[in-house]
Amino acid sequence: MGALAIKNVTKTFGDTQILKGINIDIESGEFLILVGPSGCGKSTLMNIIAGLESPTTGEVCIADRAVTNVAPKDRDIAMVFQSYALYPTMTVRQNIAFGLETRGIAKAEQNEIIARVAKMLQMDHLLERKPAALSGGQRQRVAMGRALARNPKLFLFDEPLSNLDAKLRVEMRVEIKQLHQRLKTTIVYVTHDQIEAMTLGDKIAVMKDGVIQQFGRPQDIYENPANLFVASFIGSPSMNFIPCHLIEHDGELGVSLQGMASPYFISLAGRPNLRARLGEKITLGIRPEQLDVAEAQSSALECKVKITEPTGPDTMVYTEVNGVEVIARVHPRLVPPTGQSIKLVLDMKKVVLFDPVTESRI
Amino acid sequence: MTMPVRTAQYGFAERWLPRLVLAPSFVLTLVFLYGFIVWNGYLSFTTSRMLPNYEWAGLAQYITLFDNERWWVAVRNLVIFAVLFIGGAMGIGVVLAILLDQKIRFEGAIRTIYLYPMALSFIVTGTAWKWILNPGLGIEKLMHDWGFTQFTFDWLVNSEMSIYTVVLAGLWQSSGFVMALFLAGLRGVDDSIIKAAQIDGASLPRIYWKIVLPALRPVVFSTLMVLSHIAIKSFDLIMALTGGGPGYSSDLPATFMYSMAFTRGQMGVGAASAMMMLMAVAAIVVPYLYSELRKDGNG
Repeated sequence: MGALAIKNVTKTFGDTQILKGINIDIESGEFLILVGPSGCGKSTLMNIIAGLESPTTGEVCIADRAVTNVAPKDRDIAMVFQSYALYPTMTVRQNIAFGLETRGIAKAEQNEIIARVAKMLQMDHLLERKPAALSGGQRQRVAMGRALARNPKLFLFDEPLSNLDAKLRVEMRVEIKQLHQRLKTTIVYVTHDQIEAMTLGDKIAVMKDGVIQQFGRPQDIYENPANLFVASFIGSPSMNFIPCHLIEHDGELGVSLQGMASPYFISLAGRPNLRARLGEKITLGIRPEQLDVAEAQSSALECKVKITEPTGPDTMVYTEVNGVEVIARVHPRLVPPTGQSIKLVLDMKKVVLFDPVTESRI
Repeated sequence: MTMPVRTAQYGFAERWLPRLVLAPSFVLTLVFLYGFIVWNGYLSFTTSRMLPNYEWAGLAQYITLFDNERWWVAVRNLVIFAVLFIGGAMGIGVVLAILLDQKIRFEGAIRTIYLYPMALSFIVTGTAWKWILNPGLGIEKLMHDWGFTQFTFDWLVNSEMSIYTVVLAGLWQSSGFVMALFLAGLRGVDDSIIKAAQIDGASLPRIYWKIVLPALRPVVFSTLMVLSHIAIKSFDLIMALTGGGPGYSSDLPATFMYSMAFTRGQMGVGAASAMMMLMAVAAIVVPYLYSELRKDGNG
């Protein structure tokens, strides 16, 4: 059953087009992430799903029902906001009860629901407090409780973790994921944080300038980015982009990489659609963990270690290839001292190629 | 060796400059505010008539005051005026503020129009409304000229209704101000709270009544303070609009005090009525200040 379908939705404010034809389809129980830099239109899209704004053209369906012209309260959704949006003069209990009351649920049933939600989120002891007397994490919990109490078809989370400190953010992230697995609800989650997107989502829609750049499973997006933007946005540290010329060497197509020693040729034989680009510029994309320290005897790309950043399990080695900074993620035991040379090999199966002009994948 | 001397001089200036700067206003306040309050208090226990004298009369002036029917008219008028003026200005101001908060176009221009009466003094407001409400000049004449000859609107010259014209002019003057205060408060309410309540299924009136206005309690209190002291000290509006008339039917305590002390040669009674007004104001302000200061002490 389709939980949420967005069909050709556009949104225009005055002369600026915020959304340029959005299409998304998710199944019931899926966790959809809308991710992108600020100004990409993800919050506008969220508001359109919630019914707080109406699309200029296009259609929104929730649970196989067209709701484009249905008021927010009749869409059977619940929303968690970045600022929590708790009602400041009401206690936690009243905050949760408010939505139930407006829907005419009997007092006894209200209390039952509140007790269930409070138990689920471990906030029984907070019920009689006002929002001002709660910490950021507790407020977040209450906001989620308020959403859960209604048991809607669709949950909307609008950057819910952005106001929390780093440690709490990780904890709440896990908690949201557990909650989703336990309740099997459909969730749409807006964030600008690619780590949240990767860790939480069943499906990710990467947005930029009002267009979905790529829509798919997190691992697919990570391994097969559709264009330069997606490749650079997803993953931390970011993918390395090395400018190269496509050349022919001993009858094989490939590129030449210049570290600190002589140029190192890598073959791109077997990749389709390359022959026509012989002699042109291409961008070679490789993630830091796809660069590894070479075995002593093999031929490899020799570069100079400029900076090392130990993170514990791995060390980030900053070097320079073809005049741009390249980061390699290597085992701490294999890192030479700063200023010395390091021999790197590339995991050629994972390397992706981009057209430097159109920025799309080759 | 000159260092200690210079430090001493600097220290002297640093210690005394703030006190010197504050001294004139401090002295002026002490003499012209608190000094005159005390003097007035003393006068209310003397036999002063045209000019102040210091012959002790005990509570005689207060007894005269409480036997004076005109005083009780003034007090009754103050109650009517205060209730209608404060309640009306709050009601109209809140409704206007909520309507203006709906992200409408030309909001800036509309806000200025509503706020503009506040820029006029009560004298101008009173004079303008005196002409508008004058049966021979204003609305009544206009309706007669248009052919509605049965139309009467004579509140200004009707001793039963004259106090309500004061309410009318006061509302016109102050509602925009209340609106501005509440609009500022509404702008401070997080937008997503309203969105959350919409998704929760609440209607717009319910959202404002149950969620937004309770959050504006501090604004409500400061507005109440401002309006109630405007109401109690109202003087210029009455003088310009009705002059307290017809007869003394639209007197307020302030105009009563003025005519007793300065036109009717009853300075002792005037002083006594002024003390009663002071106590009325104190009865409102002192508990308010007490609760506010105590809150600061705790917070």
